[in-house]
Amino acid sequence: MNSEEPIIQIRNLCKRFGKTTALDHVDLQIFAGSIIGLLGANGAGKSTLLRHIIGLYLPDEGHVVTFGREAAKLGPRELARIGYVHQEGELLDWMKVGQILCYVAAYYPNWNSDLESRYIAEFEISTEARVGSLSPGERQKLAILLAIGFEPELLILDEPASALDPIARANFLDLLLELIQGERRTIIISSHILSDVEKVMDRTVIMKKGRILCDSGFDDLLEKYCRVHINAVSGKLPAQLPFDNIIKSQRNDGQAILTIHDTPREVLERQGESLKCKIEVQPLSLEEIYRIVAG
Amino acid sequence: MLLEINNHSGVPIYRQVIEQIKHQIMAGQLLEAQQLTSVRDLAAQLRVNPMTISKAYAMLEADGLLERRRGIGLFVARVQNTHKMQTQTRILEGILNQAAITAAQFGFTEKQAMEMFEGLYKKYNSKTRDRSNE
Repeated sequence: MNSEEPIIQIRNLCKRFGKTTALDHVDLQIFAGSIIGLLGANGAGKSTLLRHIIGLYLPDEGHVVTFGREAAKLGPRELARIGYVHQEGELLDWMKVGQILCYVAAYYPNWNSDLESRYIAEFEISTEARVGSLSPGERQKLAILLAIGFEPELLILDEPASALDPIARANFLDLLLELIQGERRTIIISSHILSDVEKVMDRTVIMKKGRILCDSGFDDLLEKYCRVHINAVSGKLPAQLPFDNIIKSQRNDGQAILTIHDTPREVLERQGESLKCKIEVQPLSLEEIYRIVAG
Repeated sequence: MLLEINNHSGVPIYRQVIEQIKHQIMAGQLLEAQQLTSVRDLAAQLRVNPMTISKAYAMLEADGLLERRRGIGLFVARVQNTHKMQTQTRILEGILNQAAITAAQFGFTEKQAMEMFEGLYKKYNSKTRDRSNE
């Protein structure tokens, strides 16, 4: 499927801030047309990684190549294809919302005014308000609008929805899905709120302490783990249960609950047949999987 | 086409789509030669990533339940009766298996369990027949 060149190529990236290792030999390739969920606790290195992609940080070791160019040397041509929303949301506070929109739009010949008007209406942002007087949620909405208004090929969202209320957050996720419909657009969205990214991502990257612990298709990740409930129909379960790849096991005489990895459902059912028990295979939620991987 | 997606169940969305479409084809709610909603429209309707829908459609196509007509879209394929029977049997067996185990666990006799099933079956089967007579 990925015979094409990746749009982002990260090799052996290391970054230290004083004595802290923020990124520890990170390798990552990103291909066009997908939504990547970058998950990890605060301080895992998500923002640092994202900043390297657009050349805001320079590597201590290793390489970051974005759109075919060393990220440190990205020029206007490449940067015009990238939208970036960051946590701090630094905006020009003295401008009115309408003014900052005009100001930013002027830099992009392909600015989509229809998208802008619709988004302003949907998110109830007042164009007359002073940027400095906006609430954190409104600020975040404005920052998102400024980053997507020119319909960038690559959209990097660093904790974009953290200040949004539940409805605005749901609208925002719908907007992301709309943005990638039909187009070969790529979105990288970092979050520690799993339910946000769960809805939109097709690829999952989990970071902890500057390392990538997991890089997988989201569906594959969900199917990698399962929980098996075993219930004796009558009497006791045998002492030895015929399952492999057990991560966690709880049991008593008549019941067992096993968490199992990398075993297809058909294999589990076959393994369980000899038991003559009630066997139920259930998926794990993303949160449980996240705890197994990063816990 | 009406489908319902649960974003937090842990069941991959493409699986949910496959299961529901398969069930609808088997139950005759989606008819042979009926066109499926396009990937784009279904993704927009369910508010999911379009890649998810493509993946589900591709797997249903590989399974022979859907067929692609070049330049037009995807349609419900003509399914061989044996294939249909096999699929229906597999789905039904899975459901009955759970019921049989629960019945045994709860200590119902075979006769009691069968009577319960017969009663339920009559209730729904007569409704199905009423509908086809309308």
